[in-house]
Amino acid sequence: MSSNNESIGKTLAVVVALCLVCAIIVSFASVQLRPLQKANKAKDIQSNILAAAGISKVDNVAETFEAKIETRFIDMQSGDFADPIEDFDFEKTKYDADLGKSLKENGIKDIAGIQRITKRAPVYISKKDDGSTDAIILPIQGYGLWGLMYGFISLESDGETIKDIIFYKHNETPGLGGEIQNPQWTATWEGKELPIQIVKGTAGGDEHKIDGLSGATLTSNGVDHAVDFWTGENGFGPFLAKVRNGALK
Amino acid sequence: MADTKEMKAVLFGPVLANNPIALQVLGICSALAVTSSLKNALIMSIALTLVTAFSSFFISLIRNQIPSSVRIIVQMTIIASLVIVVDQVLQAFSYATAKELSVFVGLIITNCIVMGRAEAYAMKSPPIMSFLDGIGNGLGYSVVLLTVGFIRELFGKGTLFGVDIIPLVQDGGWYQPMGLLILPPSAFFIIGLFIWVLRTYKKDQVEAKA
Repeated sequence: MSSNNESIGKTLAVVVALCLVCAIIVSFASVQLRPLQKANKAKDIQSNILAAAGISKVDNVAETFEAKIETRFIDMQSGDFADPIEDFDFEKTKYDADLGKSLKENGIKDIAGIQRITKRAPVYISKKDDGSTDAIILPIQGYGLWGLMYGFISLESDGETIKDIIFYKHNETPGLGGEIQNPQWTATWEGKELPIQIVKGTAGGDEHKIDGLSGATLTSNGVDHAVDFWTGENGFGPFLAKVRNGALK
Repeated sequence: MADTKEMKAVLFGPVLANNPIALQVLGICSALAVTSSLKNALIMSIALTLVTAFSSFFISLIRNQIPSSVRIIVQMTIIASLVIVVDQVLQAFSYATAKELSVFVGLIITNCIVMGRAEAYAMKSPPIMSFLDGIGNGLGYSVVLLTVGFIRELFGKGTLFGVDIIPLVQDGGWYQPMGLLILPPSAFFIIGLFIWVLRTYKKDQVEAKA
């Protein structure tokens, strides 16, 4: 080792050169692999939608999705079907003024902690073999304990009875809040009716109440608020009202 | 240049004789978290072995240029870059596993084995030897991870790599799976037993009584 190594000039030169090389390698990997990652992400979301529709263990996700699930876009304000958005991503609606609006500026109470809501959102309708509606799958998001939780809630064709709830992306604590992914817990949602309330203790046979997760009160509240918001008047409420009047029969 | 015997010692020494988890007790955190299934354990092992080997290699390559005042930062930069690349590759080619390993791939950066080898070996040794040392320590880590993963998945879920091995009671078989083995604390017991067995077999690893 030369003593020259310790000079300020040498230190700076080594650090800058190293950072440049590392930055180039990392960005090259990131850019090159992005298309593959995007495809994987889309596939993951599709398989979660299928799971929410009660179709699990499929071999070809894209094909099954194509065959079983119909994707429609909803105008959130009116509840009518609207033009689809290419490459829809909830992350994007956060920044695009045409796609989303601020809850605060519009005087809407932001119980789910999402700050901005999309003006049009996708719903996924799974069809039975005879063409009638089997399940309506709505995307929901809400703030849990550590960050936004992304999921789907699936409803029977009456627009009221819950079939399943699935969270596919969240930062909740594994073993506590992370239990929102536990199939044993999500199974307790089946057959319950909107509006729901997550309670401490046992919900018993009450069709509007669901057992909270022990040790994860804030996550449970987050889920409660997310479901309330997205099935309420500022979320898919207008659309669900139409469904209840037989829009999808 | 080092002879083959020394290379062998560097490569296979850490597998049992100087195992990073069992003897040095480094890198326990991820060993507890990702071993509930053998597939995750395997992918984590491969990722860690590659990161350790290549970071040691690159650090050793520029070891004579690194000013000692910023050497830890330089090591961290190299390790972090490699980990990001590994994470990106995983997300592109094995998305489900990447999702399950989630934060633990990122935490390879802080895995004591990687940093420990960089600081203790790669800073003083030529690149090829450092590379082998990284592979060797990665293998040592892998042996423990795969053993723990094997026991936990086989007796916790009745499967290996997701394939049914023991028929479970709930599927009409005879085996009642051990729920404890699915949970992270069980890895403590298994690693403890692993160290016990290893020290019974290699008496020189037992610490002298104070």
